[in-house]
Amino acid sequence: MSKLRIMVLDDEPIVCKRLKPALEKQGYEVDTFTQSSDAMKQIEQVDYDLIITDLKMKGVDGMQLLTAAKQRSPKTEVIVITGFATMETAKESFHKGVFDFIAKPFKLSEIQEVVTRAEAKIRGE
Amino acid sequence: MRILFAGDEHPYSEYALKETIKLAMNTWADVTLLGVSQALPGSALVNMPASKALRHYRETFLNSWSYEDSPYEMGGGKYEWIPVKNGVLEEMKILTGRKKDFKVRLRTGNPSREILTESQDDGSDLIVIGSAKEGKCEWVNALLVPQQVVDDADCSVLIVKEQQPVTKIVACLDQGYISQESLEMINQMITIHGACLDLIGLSQDGDMEKSVYTRLIEIGDYYSDRQIEINTRLMDISDFEQVIAQEIKQDLLALWLGKKSLLNRFFSRGWVGRFVSKCPTSVLVMR
Repeated sequence: MSKLRIMVLDDEPIVCKRLKPALEKQGYEVDTFTQSSDAMKQIEQVDYDLIITDLKMKGVDGMQLLTAAKQRSPKTEVIVITGFATMETAKESFHKGVFDFIAKPFKLSEIQEVVTRAEAKIRGE
Repeated sequence: MRILFAGDEHPYSEYALKETIKLAMNTWADVTLLGVSQALPGSALVNMPASKALRHYRETFLNSWSYEDSPYEMGGGKYEWIPVKNGVLEEMKILTGRKKDFKVRLRTGNPSREILTESQDDGSDLIVIGSAKEGKCEWVNALLVPQQVVDDADCSVLIVKEQQPVTKIVACLDQGYISQESLEMINQMITIHGACLDLIGLSQDGDMEKSVYTRLIEIGDYYSDRQIEINTRLMDISDFEQVIAQEIKQDLLALWLGKKSLLNRFFSRGWVGRFVSKCPTSVLVMR
């Protein structure tokens, strides 16, 4: 079974630094980005199985990235993580087809659990 | 985010529930409503004030959303084996929230110990708890509960004193290290209340540790980058208690509780409870 390929995008490096080893430990292949413009270029090149993205970022925001990712690869699952959550952004995220919406702060175990559920969906289990 | 609301049957818990609902509406957090009662046989337990209050809180919580907006609206459910008494399991159909978890739990025993155990078991990021207002940090029938929860919790604790709009978050920085989780908690509070941030750097006899000063500047930059209104000022720790009592009217006081905290060194154990008592509004204690 091939490794799930995951993109993590957050403009706070500490978030990427926490998530990458935790997800790699679960057996996933993880690319991290702190610039949304770089992540946007990357999704033109690579179809990720799962994207974990922050919402509020300079330049391209997480909602724009979510839209672009889903347009290019509808099978890609997206998990939104945000430090500035509102009901509107939660509703909009689900309307755009996110797998889950997680407000910060969160424990690593919480995101690991959600990623495991997303993997089950991706693999059709 | 996982939120644990801990309440009894008194009005301040109702305020705390409303604050929990406001937080949940924005963050779509997993939420547990917890009550603690004295140990009694099952049939007697369901008629105790704590269990009656929980039923009311559950209805209030779930009725706060329209069906289409609620992440907690119950889905189809699945069968699970549930222990009903020693050595006996019963298969029951369990309903869960369509998008987010929502649980109501009643524990028996010492209230503060049970609240802290539940928060550890559940991996809570925030405990929301009410407190009597008039110069107190207490519960009516278990006086020390808010104080003990604040002192011993692993996660942040929001102590709600009454229902009122928050226009400003007054955060007091007295140590160089602050966790990413605590900054994220402040971000959510700013967003939920549409509030600005007043950041106070605490000094002692005019001296401020270099690490605190550096952190003060970093936090200022962090919020400026995110277009969040922030005012930074310095204050001597000896003036702090008086300022809390006099200045804070429609604000949320946010305190960092850490081992290197200047407040920890300056005041004796239990200082958070003392400040919560002095402060007329709600207090967020962060870790």
